[in-house]
Amino acid sequence: MQLDVALFANQTLSGLSTAMLMFIAAAGLSLVFGVLRLLNFAHGSFFMFGAYLAWQVSSWIGGGEFGFWLSVLIAAAMVAALAGIIESLVFKRLYGRPELIQLLFTYSLTLIAGDAVKKLWGSQPLSLARPPSLIGSFEMGGVTLPYYNFFLLCAGLATAGILWYVMQRTRIGMVVRAAAVDREMLQLLGTRVKVVYCAVFSTGAFLAALAGALVAPTTSIVPGMGAEVIIPLFIIVVIGGMGSIWGALLGSIIYGVTLSFGILWFPQFSLFAVAALMVVILIFRPQGLVGEVQTR
Amino acid sequence: MKYATKNVISCMLATISFSLGLAASSTVMAQEKIKIGFPMALSGSSAQFGEPILKGAQMYVDEINAKGGVLGKKFEIISRDSKAKPDEAVRVTRELIGREKVDFLVGSFTSGEGPAISEIAKEAKVLFIALAPKTDRLTAPDALHPYVFRTAANTTTEGRAAAAIVARWKVKRIATIAPNFAYGQDAVTAFVAALKKLRPDMEIVDQQWPKINEGDYSPFITAQMSKKPEGVFSVICCGNVTAFAKQATGLGYFKALNNNFINVAEGGSLESMQALGAEYPLGIWGNAADALNYTPADPATAKVHTDFLNRVKAYTKTQYPPSWVVSGYIGMQFLTEGIKKANSIEALKVGEAMKGMELMTPLGKMTMRAKDHQLTRGMVWGKSVASKDHPFPILSPVEYIDATPLMD
Repeated sequence: MQLDVALFANQTLSGLSTAMLMFIAAAGLSLVFGVLRLLNFAHGSFFMFGAYLAWQVSSWIGGGEFGFWLSVLIAAAMVAALAGIIESLVFKRLYGRPELIQLLFTYSLTLIAGDAVKKLWGSQPLSLARPPSLIGSFEMGGVTLPYYNFFLLCAGLATAGILWYVMQRTRIGMVVRAAAVDREMLQLLGTRVKVVYCAVFSTGAFLAALAGALVAPTTSIVPGMGAEVIIPLFIIVVIGGMGSIWGALLGSIIYGVTLSFGILWFPQFSLFAVAALMVVILIFRPQGLVGEVQTR
Repeated sequence: MKYATKNVISCMLATISFSLGLAASSTVMAQEKIKIGFPMALSGSSAQFGEPILKGAQMYVDEINAKGGVLGKKFEIISRDSKAKPDEAVRVTRELIGREKVDFLVGSFTSGEGPAISEIAKEAKVLFIALAPKTDRLTAPDALHPYVFRTAANTTTEGRAAAAIVARWKVKRIATIAPNFAYGQDAVTAFVAALKKLRPDMEIVDQQWPKINEGDYSPFITAQMSKKPEGVFSVICCGNVTAFAKQATGLGYFKALNNNFINVAEGGSLESMQALGAEYPLGIWGNAADALNYTPADPATAKVHTDFLNRVKAYTKTQYPPSWVVSGYIGMQFLTEGIKKANSIEALKVGEAMKGMELMTPLGKMTMRAKDHQLTRGMVWGKSVASKDHPFPILSPVEYIDATPLMD
């Protein structure tokens, strides 16, 4: 098959914009797993609430440039606060429990969240408009990139950079990394591990909600979106390695690009390429591409 | 000891009287009500269509019950959420038959659910009327049985009607995009076959198959655009039009196609247009079960249609009557008239009575064909244009394409 440069660039760009958006949510999932050892199937629900709340807030304060960005941030912050409350009431009981229990429990929460959203906002799909500054697209030599997708690319990279900096270069990051390695020792040294756990969980939810709010202008906001997104998110963190930020980034890029070229070359079997890739990686590197072999 | 015996006896008595009471009440119920099991997609992105379908059936039932029901019995609809998934549809249908002991099955949304429910209907000998699944497979000769009927349009008529519209376009390179399951595949097959006959000079240059409920269509859209189609036949369905249209607009897809784009699968439904509002692409073609600005040419039909829309408006308490309501309504119309004509609620007798039955529906006269249990149901078609009377586009000019000449 012929493959001209413009086509290659278009396909890569659309794969990467998918990838970066998924990365923001996947980073949260991976962080929560890495530090709390919690397999959170309900992560997709935070994503969904992010989208719904962004819609809700923007319908209160009005759309437009300022309204859009403020809605996105408020929505993500609301979800983070909600997650903090849920963590201290419910999730903290799940730490250290068998993974099957965690999965079943968080899956039930996903179902409850889906129904709650239907109760609150109905089953009609909702639509959030793009910010006026990001309507339209670049066009150059046959390559088309909507401004909004370009923004998503930047937002994903910025998220990766910020997470790396916080985790590796700040005291907070050090404490979080310590909590991942040895919770008891950290507790003995006088850190309030419970607070750290709650904060990490909230941050994970914040990232999911941020991704959900940012995806809203490109898709329709529907009650099932949380359950839809969680499977690709798990594929991504499994490919990259559970618990690693770089793994999530690499996993997202591989997922997005494989999907978009799979679509180009085998339109009828586009999902096959991604699933096959995951199977191969699980056989040869069960810990994921960047993941470390678990010692405990 | 005395206490214990007394307790045991009173407990037994209580149990007996309770079960007698239950038995008595259930016989009374059986005499009074005709139970309709209603598996329908009531959550997820399909719910925006599943709910109006249920409302349409409920509205019909409420109207009939207010007049005393049929054969002296009242209808009762027992709905269950099939989640637009075949396995879930099977589960709730078995529950409706087994536990709720329903007399009839009416409902189903996707073409995955329809054939699955049809199998159970055949096995349990319960009459099933499919309201929305369009796959040809549902009533194909080898799948047809005495217990399945369809009041939805089917993929053959939908694909042929679309091909007739596409054949008018002054272009050569055509592409298709459709969800990768029974409905999408059957609709594309019917469309391509019909187009080849009408316009042998047209060429299919690309075919995309995203999964149903795909959230991110961008890679499919860019892949399709790279093949430089001049016109596209789309079967993006089940609530996914919103996401697709937003992403396609961003990538300049409709502009590159010069708006030579037709979305079947109710892509032109009021529900989709309301969801997208001003973001709904203008100048593209779409179809729908019904449209609020559609006025049938025949005055008698026009009167029935207007009256219907007014009742829907009052019943659903919405300013703009949803387009899918008519699908639930027509299905219940045929079942009711079948029961009346058969003077019985026995599945085979009602089925026999429905064969060849012609009824005046809100969209005009339609016939339930005896040979394939398929209703001569057409759809409304048109181009999307901005409307000054509504905060969303409408189909205009909107025409009803009768399915009768497109069926065989």
